[in-house]
Amino acid sequence: MLLEFELNGKQTRVEAEPNLRVLDLLRDVLGLTGTKEGCGRGECGACTILLDGKAVNSCLLYAAKLQGRHVTTIEGLSGADEGAGGRGDQGDTPDLHPLQEAFLAEGAVQCGFCTPGMILSAKSLLDRNPDPDVREIEEALSGNLCRCTGYGKIVKAVQRAAERAPGSAKGEPHDER
Amino acid sequence: MKFLAGGTDLCVQIAEGALEPTLLIDISAAEELRRIERGAEGLRIGAAVTIAELLETARAAPGKPPAPASVPRCLLQGAAAIGSPQIRHLGTIGGNLCNASPCGDTLAPLIVLAGSFTLRSNRGSRVVAAEEFFLGPKATVLEPGEILQSILIPSTHLQGRSAFRMIGKRNGQAISQVNVAVWLKQEQSADSAGGGAGGTAPIQDIRIAAGSVAPIPLRLGRAERHLRGSVPDPSLLQAAARAVQEEIQPITDVRTSQAYRRSVTASLFLEVMTEVLEKQGG
Amino acid sequence: MNGEKLKLVGRGVAKVDGAELVTGRAKFAGDLRFPGMLYAAARRAGVAAGKIRSIDGSAASVLPGVRAVLTAGDIPGPNIIGILPPFDQPVLASEEVRYEGESLALVVAESREAARRAAAAVRVDIESWEPILDVDAALAEGCRKIHPQGNVTFSKRLIKGDVEKGFADAEVVVENTYHTSFQEHAYLEPETVVAVPGGDGRVTVYASCQSPFHIRGHIAANLNLPASRVKVIQAYTGGSFGGKDDVATEIGCLAAVAAVKLQAPVMIAHERGESMVGSNLRHAARIHYRTGSRRDGTIVAREAKIYLDGGAYASESPFVTMKALIHAGGPYHVPNVQVECTAVYTNKTYCGAFRGFGVPQVTFASESQIDELAAKLGMDPLELRRKNALRAGQENATGQVFEQSVGLVQTIERVADQAADRRDPVRRADADRSDAAEGRWLYGRGCACLLQGISNGAEGIDVVGASVQASQDGSVLVGVGLTDMGQGSRTVFAQIAAEVLGVTMDRITVRQVDTDSVHDSGPTVASRSTTVGGMAVYKAAGEVRSSLVKMASLMLKCEEKQVLLQDNFAVLASCAPRADNAEVRIALQEVCTAAYWTGFPLMHLAFSRAPDAQFDHETHQGNIYIAYNYGTHLMDVRIDTLTGAVEVLRHLAAHDLGRAINPLGVEGQVEGGALIGFGMAHLERIEHEGGRIQNANFADYAVPSIKDRLPTETIIVEDPNPTGPYGAKGVGEPPVAGTAAAFANAVAAATGIRFTRLPIRREDLLAALQGRNRGTAAESTPWQ
Repeated sequence: MLLEFELNGKQTRVEAEPNLRVLDLLRDVLGLTGTKEGCGRGECGACTILLDGKAVNSCLLYAAKLQGRHVTTIEGLSGADEGAGGRGDQGDTPDLHPLQEAFLAEGAVQCGFCTPGMILSAKSLLDRNPDPDVREIEEALSGNLCRCTGYGKIVKAVQRAAERAPGSAKGEPHDER
Repeated sequence: MKFLAGGTDLCVQIAEGALEPTLLIDISAAEELRRIERGAEGLRIGAAVTIAELLETARAAPGKPPAPASVPRCLLQGAAAIGSPQIRHLGTIGGNLCNASPCGDTLAPLIVLAGSFTLRSNRGSRVVAAEEFFLGPKATVLEPGEILQSILIPSTHLQGRSAFRMIGKRNGQAISQVNVAVWLKQEQSADSAGGGAGGTAPIQDIRIAAGSVAPIPLRLGRAERHLRGSVPDPSLLQAAARAVQEEIQPITDVRTSQAYRRSVTASLFLEVMTEVLEKQGG
Repeated sequence: MNGEKLKLVGRGVAKVDGAELVTGRAKFAGDLRFPGMLYAAARRAGVAAGKIRSIDGSAASVLPGVRAVLTAGDIPGPNIIGILPPFDQPVLASEEVRYEGESLALVVAESREAARRAAAAVRVDIESWEPILDVDAALAEGCRKIHPQGNVTFSKRLIKGDVEKGFADAEVVVENTYHTSFQEHAYLEPETVVAVPGGDGRVTVYASCQSPFHIRGHIAANLNLPASRVKVIQAYTGGSFGGKDDVATEIGCLAAVAAVKLQAPVMIAHERGESMVGSNLRHAARIHYRTGSRRDGTIVAREAKIYLDGGAYASESPFVTMKALIHAGGPYHVPNVQVECTAVYTNKTYCGAFRGFGVPQVTFASESQIDELAAKLGMDPLELRRKNALRAGQENATGQVFEQSVGLVQTIERVADQAADRRDPVRRADADRSDAAEGRWLYGRGCACLLQGISNGAEGIDVVGASVQASQDGSVLVGVGLTDMGQGSRTVFAQIAAEVLGVTMDRITVRQVDTDSVHDSGPTVASRSTTVGGMAVYKAAGEVRSSLVKMASLMLKCEEKQVLLQDNFAVLASCAPRADNAEVRIALQEVCTAAYWTGFPLMHLAFSRAPDAQFDHETHQGNIYIAYNYGTHLMDVRIDTLTGAVEVLRHLAAHDLGRAINPLGVEGQVEGGALIGFGMAHLERIEHEGGRIQNANFADYAVPSIKDRLPTETIIVEDPNPTGPYGAKGVGEPPVAGTAAAFANAVAAATGIRFTRLPIRREDLLAALQGRNRGTAAESTPWQ
């Protein structure tokens, strides 16, 4: 079927089987591999995308359901044009969303596999609740598993992004410690 | 052929090869299935209302004081216990009910709220009480081609107080090893605000149900009889908790042991009773 | 190295590879796409043990999209893999099934779904045998042999002093038996590889892995190719913790065989269920322990007999056996220690490396027993540990003496200080809401001390090669044979190189690990990246530095020792820091360009070689590790007697890690490792029935969620290690052992019940508490 939906702010038309998982539509058909498969059963959150602003597991979503909806993936968060291929120079990162900057600044990223889903769940929270308490952050991220970080810095990163702390430039040491 | 709403259970079954439907009919966008309406008969919830939307009804609109929640508390608590935000954004109340897993968290609440389900097919519609809807694990009275259209909580059971508790292996994203729901109505006493009466008024009516302690969510009628018409003092509550333990039929499975289920159901029951018997405004 | 003012080492810097991870641009193996790429999936045995009568792929091969069905006969080489010789694991089994996840055939198809559907259609005829399910059955007289040499995988002893004499002198003795269960790594990224045949007769394999050279060697052998024709590139790896190497080798071989045969790129990406069943687990352990002390608490003898259930194949069992053996004595000065450790084959998923590597299991047992001894002596548990704690100059359990970097006592003191502000376990304000809550909550405090040997130790040669290359534009490329799977080694290597060369972090690139371009440095394990890897980087950077300094000294017309490299400049040391005068300050870019044109070498390959372990293989006495990380953990818990739920109110984790190169990274390692230890101690248990895993999914295997996290406070103790860069020692593994052991002790303190089996789950707590109330023995759920 022909699907028409908004993807990362752009109207998108793509031909796909109606029961193709949105996870596969993104990764295999549209080449957006930022969304990950961790379990395929909706139990880990690595495949989290935003559907009309709400976090959902794209491994449990069939493509037909995207018709006329708004989809946000991790690629839609940073300022650089997707598919622009990057500017090559390591020092020139795309404009990062405050959540992305916060995750980096707080050391909330280790292997990075859970990170896209984690960031999108956090975005879904902050977009509707800009000043969450710790319980609300935990609840919002309760569907995203992480095995590397122990979650402490992830909570701090979300708090930092909520406070709109200025991101530190990449690689500069923190003197806070 | 299978009806698809949120897909959070169905898609997993298809992914595991447990189901291979040749046709999926997506009913999630049908307007009639997505309404929540309060009328004379009670609260009617469309089957395709998502768990998140159900919870949303209890949230205050920005800038306004919180509206009195019309969705009873035990159902809200059950809904909040489901899965994760991602699952709740897609999953529907109808899906949770029709999937009929004994650990489904909206099942026991709807039984204690005396819920009734309107089932619809091209042969017409019929109404089935929540208690009669479930036949066994993953089995309901739904006939082929029949969908769950809406759930009605009668006005009688929008009054009174209710609560729900579950426990899982961990704190987050936990499947219920056991869950318990209670609805009750106490006689009004002079010093009470509407709806509840605190710990000392006799219980006029009570309904107790538990999930994941039997092949279907179980109404605990014998335990109810301990409390109906009585003043819920601590020793009576303990006796009722023991009755709950005796009435349930838990098994040992990959989620936990029979012994744990038996013990913890009693504990959850007592916690739920503590909550519903709390004095208003306390 | 010591005493200098460091600009980057010791600072919490952001990950060098962070931007690509937070934007989703980093390519994990499953994100790679190649024209004409095919997908492959394995048909697994599905029974725990048996004789393979036949494997028939004919029905599968005619299904839509299927290109090939491969069996053992299609493997050109010996069809054998393993971590340690003698390798005992087939890539594709053809004779015998030893565990349910045994791969019997590989289906290659045009899509993942087609491959999986066809894999299910491969017909196998297996004569099922009664599976051997536990250690006792495996060791019983006349038991079927899972491998030709019998069911003992590996067995070793450690003998220090004379324990019989020691126990004879002891005034107090405690004795107990402890059990730990199988634990799953549960990295978020399931195992994935892509094999791409080159037109030049080479094959490149992209793998989510830790040990690319190990994988390369096996792929080459199984393809009957020289190793130099195979290239393994480590893709961004979504966590590993020791879990990916066996299986990355297995699927790397499979994908490569398929790719070469079909002359097309082939991807194998595991689903979560097969990841749990088909990749290694943490060994389950049974540990019988005896400890003897004098009345004053001086420990005089410790004896342990350890059985490790290692599943169907050897994997890392020999090394886990040795490590458990070596660490069983605990971080104490004990004159008489005897340990016997035996790994055993059973018909279950094989066990291998998992962060901690035998140390978490023995530490739980050892530290539980220390608490039991403290109770018998009437001594404070932390005091008993402090009294016996290893100090510099003392012989540890292998008779090795370290004159420096034995910071255990410091970790005890730091924890005691920080916990002293609240002598009783922290209580929650909302705990007692009503009369009914009285007695509902139990509070307890537990502590544990640990040691964890850094790097390979007795496991063989311990060398890392690192290359550092300065470009003419003053930017630097670092290549190390060790992998970053999230632990932040790339960042640490960048910090070290940047520190040595006076370059800012944004001018350093740490390249992807690719077997063509970096030196074989063995596996990235054993918390060795910072210590041995960092040292190699330090040396290589030092060589390049000396070229730059020589050049700069010519340009600045001064002596070499007057040249400082900092902030991308070569600066004359005696001058004001910000002077912009060309006579006193030259941009490194100019120095590099000039160095090139002058003929100074700008690239060096350096090795860091840890001294070979020298020890008696019968008694394990000698110098085994280059260093040990020492730690003390303290945990306060609150237990709900109505449900068995545990809340951790406080968790202090202090480690002597020599030197924190990146404190932010250290915290991340401690917090992450701690939660894995907590999972092992409280939430996670692989459930086997008839040798088959019943909970191979994330719903029923309870990996901690964010709502289960710990309030871990990382305490960094730095007692510099002379063998590590800037004094550093690794810290990846120690938190696992410390957290699990502290949890067990906290629960014991809270309940008054000693749980000798991990995990101590809610249901175990409730059963034990109610059993005690009823006066009956605690009902324990079956171990396996």
